[in-house]
Amino acid sequence: MTASGAVLDLSLPQLGLALLLVGVIIAISIYQRLGIAGDAVVGTLRAMVQLYLVGLILAVVFRAARWYWVLLILVVMTAVAAQAATGRLGKPLPGGGVIAALALTVSTAVTLFYVIGVVVRVRPWYEPQYIIPIAGMILGSAMTSAALAGDRLQSDLRSRADEVEARLALGFSGREAVQPVVRAALRAAMIPTVNGMMTVGLVQLPGMMTGQILAGSSPLLAIKYQLVVVFMQAAATAIAAMLFVRLAVARYLTPAHQFTRSRL
Amino acid sequence: MAAPPSLRDPLFEVEHLSLAYPGASNHSPVSILNDVSVGVERGDALVLVGPSGSGKSTLLRCLNRLVEPTAGRVQFDGRDIRSLDPRELRRRAALVMQTPVLFEGSVRDNLLVRPPDASGDFSPGRLASALLDVGLDPELLDRDAATLSGGEKQRVTIARALLGDPQALLLDEPTSALDPPNVALVAETVSRLRERYQLTIVAVTHQPDLVRRLGGGLLYLVGGVVLAYERADGAVSDSRLHAFLSGAQASPPTRHP
Repeated sequence: MTASGAVLDLSLPQLGLALLLVGVIIAISIYQRLGIAGDAVVGTLRAMVQLYLVGLILAVVFRAARWYWVLLILVVMTAVAAQAATGRLGKPLPGGGVIAALALTVSTAVTLFYVIGVVVRVRPWYEPQYIIPIAGMILGSAMTSAALAGDRLQSDLRSRADEVEARLALGFSGREAVQPVVRAALRAAMIPTVNGMMTVGLVQLPGMMTGQILAGSSPLLAIKYQLVVVFMQAAATAIAAMLFVRLAVARYLTPAHQFTRSRL
Repeated sequence: MAAPPSLRDPLFEVEHLSLAYPGASNHSPVSILNDVSVGVERGDALVLVGPSGSGKSTLLRCLNRLVEPTAGRVQFDGRDIRSLDPRELRRRAALVMQTPVLFEGSVRDNLLVRPPDASGDFSPGRLASALLDVGLDPELLDRDAATLSGGEKQRVTIARALLGDPQALLLDEPTSALDPPNVALVAETVSRLRERYQLTIVAVTHQPDLVRRLGGGLLYLVGGVVLAYERADGAVSDSRLHAFLSGAQASPPTRHP
């Protein structure tokens, strides 16, 4: 796989041995009656099926290396991420799916373009080995960011509705009246990323860096890629949160500077 | 429905106002206000009474366009409010809410909470006199707003509303979150300010004391429908008002001609 050829292949029996590890969570769940043993089994099965399917698809796409296959995969990934970002909101956000799709598409496209085209300079740009994992990491950050921002936005609009109304009654515009709530939602979305940058490498080695090292890269090359990943995730987090919150909060405001509480 | 008496110099005219929210799927729309018409003379008072859920607060919020009706119209100072900038309308018809909303910071910070383009006098002297107006010591200006009592907080929000030099005060149960001594203080404050600044007042309240102090019109709302309109100046019998305010709407007031 790499020049150093240091990768140990895993046999199916070896994977079977790894599967025994899941038995620990199932055993503790049963022993402590946590009621999550069923979910753990389903999760295990899903992880196996999903990863194998993805592996098969990626193997095909890597071999074909056609830009349209890559684009199709990116679109599917974005759609799934957009769905996941709004799926867990307390009350469905009106038009939430479209808003999430827009926020994730723009934040990912901008960040991906910069990383692939300007920083790493992958040629051709659709080289699946680079663009797919990088896009996946960007999308993951954007998705988490939009979900955190959306959740905080909704709960704060609900708990601080009187505050928003009081500002409107004082003559603030709708946008001005929700600004403190918008700010809180943006902070909620971005703080984990900023905190993550503080401790990266000290508490745990990031997954991508671990993978690269396991695959035989030198740690010094791995950290360079990891730094690019950390920075691009920060950018995607910020862009996704900003777009999502701005578009989402507008769903609760009218042009006449009214706050439509009933939509919450 | 009680026909609005013809007004000489109305500040607010509400004409056939209706509001319905779309119901949840497979449910019919929820009617909040149904063909409400009423007017308020400049400098006069209108008190909205009725059981909770009768649409009083919603009607109040239609007057400064925090809520958009589905039918009918509201005129303010002779103009359809939809032709006014809502922000300007809300500065001229200031709302005082049931639960006083104070922001983080001192009383001074709270009095200075204004939109960036707000005009008016916010000098230290004016802030102090605004506090005096509502019966508070100007020394409170530098107090942390969070440390005030409920009654003090409500009076700070009234002072904040007054600083915008409004023509009208819209009061949404301004005393319902207060204990009896504070209820009397706020009621007294409101009626005194009305005199001093010739304010037009529209109030939602359950307090007979405030109703009597304000005088003016009384609009009885039940289920979003106007049940009766009458003048509170002496004409209204205490027992009837009391029965209605306490929510005994089993015996609603008779319709007035």
